[in-house]
Amino acid sequence: MTEVLDLHEQDSDGGSEEVVLTPAELIERLEQAWMNEKFAPELLESKPEIVECVMEQLEHMEGNLRRAKSGDLKVSIHRMEMERIRYILSSYLRCRLMKIEKFFPHILEKEKMRPAGEPSVLSPEEFVFVKEYMDHTETHLKNVALKHMPPNLQKVDLLRAVPKPDLDSYVFLRVKERQENILVEPEADEQRDYVIDLEEGSQHLIRYKTIAPLVASGAVQLI
Amino acid sequence: MDAAEVEFLAKKELVTIIPNFSLDKIYLIGGDLGPFNLAYPWKCPFGWPINLKQRQKCCLLPPEWMDVEKMEQIQDQERKEETFTPVPSPHYMEITKLLLNHASDNISKADTIRTLIKDLWDTRMAKLRVSADNFVWQQEAHAKLDNLTNRHMDQCNQIKNPEINPQTYEHLIFDKEAKLAQATTFLI
Repeated sequence: MTEVLDLHEQDSDGGSEEVVLTPAELIERLEQAWMNEKFAPELLESKPEIVECVMEQLEHMEGNLRRAKSGDLKVSIHRMEMERIRYILSSYLRCRLMKIEKFFPHILEKEKMRPAGEPSVLSPEEFVFVKEYMDHTETHLKNVALKHMPPNLQKVDLLRAVPKPDLDSYVFLRVKERQENILVEPEADEQRDYVIDLEEGSQHLIRYKTIAPLVASGAVQLI
Repeated sequence: MDAAEVEFLAKKELVTIIPNFSLDKIYLIGGDLGPFNLAYPWKCPFGWPINLKQRQKCCLLPPEWMDVEKMEQIQDQERKEETFTPVPSPHYMEITKLLLNHASDNISKADTIRTLIKDLWDTRMAKLRVSADNFVWQQEAHAKLDNLTNRHMDQCNQIKNPEINPQTYEHLIFDKEAKLAQATTFLI
């Protein structure tokens, strides 16, 4: 019953290519997306295709289990696995929502400035959520405080009021593909920039900003 | 990532079991499992053999590295070297803890192994603290940390208070290229 899934991926030209994944690889990708999302200080690109495929698999398995009346052991093994996958999926989505709520004005601004071909950081449902959250926060602030203030102070700029994600924070990472010439900026002014090479399989501690594009492309894994 | 999640990840490691039941091949989403024949050793991911053991359906075999002499060798090596030596398995702490809790009757000299693992952990944490100090005082911007497990990094992340910004603490440090072999962490 090992099925092979079709995953449609968009590349930057707007064309689409089909990537065929086994369910095991799909779960592997979900776990990687989960770990990356947990440790990255900003919201990463949304992966709706992985989420949809995993949901499909879970529903399929749930349907099978309902119909199956065989021995206790097989059913309980399947259920345990389903619970594990469900936990990873919900933790991943919860992590994203938490970041959205924390940085909502910056995310909306980024979304407005995004060029047409680039993939979105938000899924359609998340986008609706952010807009509503923004509206509700503004309404709440207005009703609670702003409307009682003198007329020239009644505006609040949420972009400046809400802190930006800290891209300078340090993250641990494991290298999956060898990278060369990564520029490391120094802490103190007397030091100069230097370049390092990242070997495959090694682990590092480095500023998020330096390796953000590598996380997006999948060449490193945050741990 | 907290300790429970690190344990969750450790449950993907393969461990050998001897089932006392028979079962055909099972097709899980994450891969196939089985078939299980009575009393024939089989490798499977760690999560549910624990469950099986609690239901008295199998015997868990300790992995090859969980042996008193081997552990003593690893412990000696760790003490001699300044940097971190390779660990027997990336999830050695979690596996040991789970195996000793649930299956200590299947493991010979369980107490000795428990003490050895604890010593190994303490040695490594001490090294971590020393390197962290160096790290901070020398104002580095990058560190290479092979041979550190998830659990170590998780300890580091826990010490770090999320409200504290690196900008507030100007003396935060990272390894220079010359010290790439050292493992480091934040101590804030």
